[in-house]
Amino acid sequence: MKLDASRPLEYATEENRNRILGFWIFLGAEIALFSTLFTVYFVLVNRFASGPSGSELFEIGPVLAETFVLLTSSFTIGLAIHAMRHQYKKAAMVFIGVTLLLGLVFLGIEIMEFFTYVHEGATLSTSAFLSSLFVLLGTHGAHVTFGLLWGSAILIQLSRHGFTPETANKSFIFSLYWHFLDVVWIFIFSFVYLKGLM
Amino acid sequence: MLKELFPIRHVVGFISSLLLTAAALSVLVFDLPFGVDMGILIVTAVLQASLQLFLFMHIGEEKTTKTTLYLNIAYALFVGLVTIFGTLYIFVWGWYS
Repeated sequence: MKLDASRPLEYATEENRNRILGFWIFLGAEIALFSTLFTVYFVLVNRFASGPSGSELFEIGPVLAETFVLLTSSFTIGLAIHAMRHQYKKAAMVFIGVTLLLGLVFLGIEIMEFFTYVHEGATLSTSAFLSSLFVLLGTHGAHVTFGLLWGSAILIQLSRHGFTPETANKSFIFSLYWHFLDVVWIFIFSFVYLKGLM
Repeated sequence: MLKELFPIRHVVGFISSLLLTAAALSVLVFDLPFGVDMGILIVTAVLQASLQLFLFMHIGEEKTTKTTLYLNIAYALFVGLVTIFGTLYIFVWGWYS
């Protein structure tokens, strides 16, 4: 394994560079996945049958809280990678921990939202609009859930091994994933919630 | 130490993302025409996504893969946009009927 000292640790070997490239290609596939889910939602958004429409169902308060929490977590994972590049192991781990906690808060608010919707009689099978809404939000929420497990596993590895070419590479790739989830949420916030409430 | 842990670029990026969110909220606050509202949402969302891509994800930092990454994301966006707007064109905007 040849280490290239002119590059940050996560790029230092050819294998590391290939892993990062591969993950970006995966993110390209994720863009295609979420595009299809947005497509279904946009086509079915007015087919609310006898159930509620978006403007009747959505409330801006919790959605703004979700947005703020996720934007902040995207900021802290960015800080974690920055700290990693300056060899601040403890600070990087704290930032990753804060990111995961914020992710947990986001997930909690989203689950409470889902409970509220179902309580108001808006379930997955109520209308085509709600099916497409729950599938779009649920796929994003499932990604966040997976991210929480993934990030926790990386934290354990960091506490055991510190920053090696392997763990630095894993941490960086996780940060790409987390920023991507934030991007997807921005589009949900804008074109599902804000557009629905307009 | 504090300056190294909270680099100014990241802090500015974070504040910008909050400001862009506030700007997007204007579609609920003001009574603007639908087209203007959609314009605001599209511009703020694209700026937010670019902020993440260029500032936080450092898409252009590795010289050997930079072009590949740009092409990959551009192609993914092309496929996504064709899927979304092609489908809307057929099923919602009435080309098929």
